[in-house]
Amino acid sequence: MSQQRFSSFGGRLFLAWLVLMSSFLPVSAADLKLEAKLIWATDDEKSPDPNHTPVDAATAEKLRKVFKWKNYFIVNKIVKVVPSRGSNSFPLSKDCTVEIRELEGPRVEVTLIGKGKQVHKTTKSLTKGEWFTYAGDDKNQSAWFVIVAELDEK
Amino acid sequence: MNEEQLLQLQAWVDGELPEGEARRLQRQIETDPEARALVEELKMTKAFLAGNEPEYTVPDSREFYWSQVKREIDRQAAASAQPADSRPAWTLGWRRLLAPVAGLALIAFLTVLSLNIVERPKLDESLQHLVEVENLDEHVGSFSYRSQAENMFVVWLYNKDLEPAADEESDMEDDAVLQ
Repeated sequence: MSQQRFSSFGGRLFLAWLVLMSSFLPVSAADLKLEAKLIWATDDEKSPDPNHTPVDAATAEKLRKVFKWKNYFIVNKIVKVVPSRGSNSFPLSKDCTVEIRELEGPRVEVTLIGKGKQVHKTTKSLTKGEWFTYAGDDKNQSAWFVIVAELDEK
Repeated sequence: MNEEQLLQLQAWVDGELPEGEARRLQRQIETDPEARALVEELKMTKAFLAGNEPEYTVPDSREFYWSQVKREIDRQAAASAQPADSRPAWTLGWRRLLAPVAGLALIAFLTVLSLNIVERPKLDESLQHLVEVENLDEHVGSFSYRSQAENMFVVWLYNKDLEPAADEESDMEDDAVLQ
């Protein structure tokens, strides 16, 4: 009788544990919540494209410490989740897309696609707070940047 | 003489036939020498067996003898119903106590294990700065740069056709500001 009572109690305890653990499962272990930004840099005070908005002060300061340009404007920003051992595409403009794959390690494989053609691939670890940046020169002494950073999970 | 007739003769010798049938067989035996010879032989065998069958007598009374048989059957049935558990009673007490404790310990262990899985494993420090770069366009060159101060890794891409002098896939570490 007491054994039956225990197995019933044990069963309920096990069930409760399963429910508790299942609540962790939707945010899978290595899912990455990433932000990809396309930024245009210039020494001019304003961007000729009215859709461009200046980056926030902290971002501008950080970029100025690394690059030579004075002003930075956000062209597009996308936040997406890259599933564990999966990939996701971040189409930042008509001609520029980054595809990010989560790999064992954990590491990420970032592929830059320009005008539908794969241009460059980088595989590295991506730690919280780190910025991974693709960059290149643009017309009129300006430059473009694609910045990928991991956001805190919800 | 067929098998059925032989069995009828045997029944007649044992006195098992009804009266009418017995009379009919009596007449057959009187007229049929083969039947008569068989009947004589059956009677002789019956008399021999009846006279020489051994008799065994039980020294106890009938009731006492069968009560002994019944007791033995009950004893063996009870012995086979109970499993042979030679362990002392205190081990059973410990088992009752340890079974739930072991169950809880297992659940706690699995919980800790699951939480470890949920947290992303820390990358080995030695692998943290390992970077693989691959140019996929023959017209594009690249060099990479890491700013430790700003925690930023940069891959700078350039057009090879426009900047033939640039070193392809060179690496720098916290050098001057990129141009």
